[in-house]
Amino acid sequence: MIVSSGFLSIMVMMALTVTIIAPIVLIILWIKDWIKGQLW
Amino acid sequence: MNNVHSAVLDASTGWIILTIFSVIWIFLGWFWGRKAKKLDDFMLAGRNVGMALGTATAMATWVTSNTTLVAPQFALQLGIWGMLGYSLGAVGLILFAPLVRRIRSLVPHGYTSGDFIRLRYGVWTWRLFLLISMCYAIGWLISMGMAGGVLIHALTGIDYQYGMTVILIICVTYTLLGGLRAVIGTDFIQTILILIGIIILAVLTISEIGFEKMHKDVLAESPELLNLLMPAAIMFLFNNLLFGIGEIFHSNVWWSRAFAFREGVGSKAYLFAGIIWAPIPIVAGFIALSVSSLDLNVPAADMVGPMVAAKLLGFTGAVIVFVVVFSSLASSLDSLLAATSDLILQDIYRGHINPKATDEQLRRIAKIIIVLLGIVTWLICLPRIATLGSLLQYLGAFVASTIWPIAAGLYLKKANATGAFLAMLLGTFSGIWAFFSIGFYVAALVSAVVSMSVVLISMWLRPDNFEWSKLNEQPEQLTGEKSS
Repeated sequence: MIVSSGFLSIMVMMALTVTIIAPIVLIILWIKDWIKGQLW
Repeated sequence: MNNVHSAVLDASTGWIILTIFSVIWIFLGWFWGRKAKKLDDFMLAGRNVGMALGTATAMATWVTSNTTLVAPQFALQLGIWGMLGYSLGAVGLILFAPLVRRIRSLVPHGYTSGDFIRLRYGVWTWRLFLLISMCYAIGWLISMGMAGGVLIHALTGIDYQYGMTVILIICVTYTLLGGLRAVIGTDFIQTILILIGIIILAVLTISEIGFEKMHKDVLAESPELLNLLMPAAIMFLFNNLLFGIGEIFHSNVWWSRAFAFREGVGSKAYLFAGIIWAPIPIVAGFIALSVSSLDLNVPAADMVGPMVAAKLLGFTGAVIVFVVVFSSLASSLDSLLAATSDLILQDIYRGHINPKATDEQLRRIAKIIIVLLGIVTWLICLPRIATLGSLLQYLGAFVASTIWPIAAGLYLKKANATGAFLAMLLGTFSGIWAFFSIGFYVAALVSAVVSMSVVLISMWLRPDNFEWSKLNEQPEQLTGEKSS
């Protein structure tokens, strides 16, 4: 059962999208924690 | 086919990058570590880590050099399922999220995973658990030390031994200076570097080759990599799932963070870290499928990631992959050094040798342990003894045997010490047998099945009636004096 190039591209693009969003969310969380004085 | 014999970066560039990062990490380790006045500050970052740093440290620690180097290796060997199977490692983080809340409520003053096993199952199960944990910790340290040497050699031509030595020295130094606070602080920066680096590599791979050509070339040369019914790869998927769960459930790397995160933060941080970790092996791994398109001859499977990046992106690619894997290595090595030294300090030194040690003594011993761990790892890494993937999978037999004793011990009063002990012992031996008799891709699977069976049968035959309050051990019971 060989996967198509479409399947490969959808799988990788979905993974890439989450990976692109991740650092943005982390930086927003860092700023929120920093403003509240709750980094650690 | 082209052979990539020469490194893309010259050795002097490699040394410059290593020097820059060494200075940054060591300075930050000192900067954050100077505030660590108490033992809790050094071992557990003051038990008050927030959501951003908590998520980043969980995610960065789980993105090891094994993720960035072995994910492409598995994609090359096992194709689609190699990437998907590796990404299932995220399930361990996600499943650990509810356990963190349970751990914090049941063992509020704990320091290590060993504390829980000792209080829950008694001394002999605790000792067996410590043996498994130490085998795993040393194995993981070796795996990462070797990865550091391999990467630096592949990209810069610097001798394996020199590269491995430098990475170990950097991580030992800043962990020594700052303890867990330095580890968690640097993890945040390393997370951002890893994510940005992987994104750049993936985007450029897609734009340079494209999915159509990649798919066509893989289909022509290695069609089995695109086969969803590749039996060994499907076994690998389940094996890796259980391996990941076992690693996280038992390892003090994750338990120490459960104790270090602020109340209410741990569960959310682990859950979010799992969600953002899951796509990383796919994004880092799929570039290995471009080997056919690039006409590359890969001499060692664990070098495929750096070689593809260097071939595809030249100097920039080499620098990016160097920074990504260096950050991955550092973020995991420092965590493992800190967590393993905590385990040796709390469970071996304080638990077996000097129960009345003061905080001051313990801080001094913790630093000695970190240095000794670095030296032991260095000595074992000097000869390159196995490929990274097989070394990592060998440990699956050990860690998967701990999943059921820990999960049952946290939630079920019926779980008993004899069952937990036998589950870990028989699970480990059966996993090792499977590793050698069948293959690396079933070691964790067999170990977990045997361990689960033993735990369930023992609860049925001799159910315990454990008092949860026994887990709430006060700090003075551990040290013989009031904790500061």
